Amino acid sequence: MKNNDQSRVFDLTDYKRQDFSVCLGCKICASVCTVNDLSENTNPQDILQKLFLGKDIPADEPLVRYCTGCYRCTGACPWNIRIPEVIRALREELAIESPFEKAFKGSLSIWGRVYEPYVLLMAIPFLLKGGYMKHMTRWMEYMGIHLPHKVKRA
Amino acid sequence: MKVLIIGGGIGGISAAKVALKENHIVTILESSAEPGGIMARIANCRIGFKTFFDEIRDNPRLTVIREGKITSVEKKDKLFAVTLENGQSLTADKVVIATGLSPYDPVEYKGKRVMTSLEYDQVIDQRQGELPGDFNKVGFFLCVGSRSKEFPLCSSVCCSYTIREIKWTLQRAKPEIKVFYNDLRFFGQEFYMEKVYRDAGVTFIRANSRYFEEDDTGVTVRYFAGGELKEERFNYVVLAVGLRPNPQLEPLSKLFGFSLNEFGFVKETEPLTTDVEGVYVCGGALEPMNIKDSILTGFGAGVRVLKGANSLQQNSAVNERLYKEPEPEFSFTENGSKSCLFYLGTDDAGAAMYYEYMSSKFISMARDVARAGKTAYVVTKNMVTPSYGEIAYEEARREGIIFIHLEEEDRLSVNGSLAHITGPGRDLQFDIDRVISFDDYVKLFHDREFLSVYRSEPQLRWNPTKWGRKKYHVGFIRHPRDPRWETREVLGAIGEMLLDDEEERLFPQVNDERCSGCGSCKEACPASAIDLLIQERQISIFGPIPMSSAPIAHIKEDTCIGCGLCASTCPSDVITLEQK
Repeated sequence: MKNNDQSRVFDLTDYKRQDFSVCLGCKICASVCTVNDLSENTNPQDILQKLFLGKDIPADEPLVRYCTGCYRCTGACPWNIRIPEVIRALREELAIESPFEKAFKGSLSIWGRVYEPYVLLMAIPFLLKGGYMKHMTRWMEYMGIHLPHKVKRA
Repeated sequence: MKVLIIGGGIGGISAAKVALKENHIVTILESSAEPGGIMARIANCRIGFKTFFDEIRDNPRLTVIREGKITSVEKKDKLFAVTLENGQSLTADKVVIATGLSPYDPVEYKGKRVMTSLEYDQVIDQRQGELPGDFNKVGFFLCVGSRSKEFPLCSSVCCSYTIREIKWTLQRAKPEIKVFYNDLRFFGQEFYMEKVYRDAGVTFIRANSRYFEEDDTGVTVRYFAGGELKEERFNYVVLAVGLRPNPQLEPLSKLFGFSLNEFGFVKETEPLTTDVEGVYVCGGALEPMNIKDSILTGFGAGVRVLKGANSLQQNSAVNERLYKEPEPEFSFTENGSKSCLFYLGTDDAGAAMYYEYMSSKFISMARDVARAGKTAYVVTKNMVTPSYGEIAYEEARREGIIFIHLEEEDRLSVNGSLAHITGPGRDLQFDIDRVISFDDYVKLFHDREFLSVYRSEPQLRWNPTKWGRKKYHVGFIRHPRDPRWETREVLGAIGEMLLDDEEERLFPQVNDERCSGCGSCKEACPASAIDLLIQERQISIFGPIPMSSAPIAHIKEDTCIGCGLCASTCPSDVITLEQK
């Protein structure tokens, strides 16, 4: 990511840069972040600092990849800084949105609501490539496509 | 004149003292069962408060109303007619608002082993019996319920209180102690205390946490420091809770008609004065402050009650005793450089007392640089901006000044135009044109006399500005701090002088004939009031020797505080303590 793009990241969040720059550097967000269970030593405050300093944020940064948007950091943060929104903007900026995220957004722009068959259609390449077919029976249930009860569930 | 003081905490009692000294009729209205406020909740201060209060408790002009609540106030010709909940009614010419502060209650984190600092105080209170059996590891977490979006002010006392709690803990047991902080906002002498406890094995970690998982045997805490997430078990976790304005201030402001500021504290029109005539304010109703400052503002509000707008018209008697140290001349010119790095950090505990002054200076300098369209970086080891100072810090953060917080082991090095921050799990480089560091300005303070004990003594002190017998210090000498305090300090000093008018005093007398001039009294004197002067005198050893000269102790009347240490130290009982 280029240096001058960092202001765009803050624009994308629909908040102002100053809503993020109030950060005190206390690292409370890191103490509660769930990504730490998945990939060690994740510090959301570090992402903010890198953005302020205009540093590159690699696309394989664990927080950018695994953030679930649970807002635990925001809840614990003294200044209620909405870090998941920064992460979402970063994903868009770095073009590493998950196919589901893309599909949901596409569905919203076409129908104004989430339309599952469309989401499924858009996600098929990802599901095929990622080896998710073995769980097909389960996620088809989630999608609202119910299989006969005799079909074995994975 | 009738004076009504709302709040029987340390501030209210101090104001009452000054008013009683001038023989006015004083009523103290206390909302709880016994005067004391937060100060009396701290075990080590309870006796101190009692002693302070006992001096006026039996004064016939003083009435203390316990568990009183005001229902209505009417103002007629500068006279306040106040009705209480139990139907009692009183009149008052002057009113002092001394409602004090209210500690934040972190219900979302509290448990049996996760407690607030005031609850922990009861645990380590000697009068409450033995310590719990599993008292091996204690963690302190600062800035809970302060410096946040909800309440942006810094409580200014939690750090100081925590270092004292560490002291009281170590006096009773030797648990492993870890302190998790954002900034260590100590004042003066407390930085030496910090150094002592660091050397004694207390760990300070510049990170905070809100991950507390409590079970029957301890608390699991996660925190992020040194570039990695750490998980640790503590037996007890202490949350240093912030101080908020008293919730009673709001109904009181409606009853009396004075206004509050956006944080819920009383708005000062002039120092210690509200915008309603005849209503004055002191202590924690103004801003979060420590006990000594509450006493100071209490005395000041007392002076305001007595003299109103004329409080600051000083007569020569006051001027003679008041010593004001002016602020040093501070210069900063913003030159053509594109980016500027301010390094706010020192390893010297002695220079650390200037953190407060330098923090506010660096913030305003950095804002100047940023306004000129340049990039300003502030690399901090410790940012000391207590109470309202935090607002300027917040604005600076919002304005886009980049604050980089150094952890305990992080180091900043500057190589040409490249700033490099290294530490465990940290490697940060960025370009800069100009470096301004704390040490560049420390020379401002070199030839100046500072009294680092003010505001920061480990013990309580009932005369906040008094230094010597006829010396009252205000201004920059007490401690480099915000200018809004200067007038408050002068008012407090005037109040103190009023109280200090002594009819009689103890003064040591030296028996010139027998003094051997050994100098042990000089060493013992805490106020340096003893000089050894050479005096001509006749010495008789096996019959008189004509004339000879020998040193003898001479006590300076102005500096002597009458403590009597010289009399008890003197090896040959030459000094006697007599009433003068």
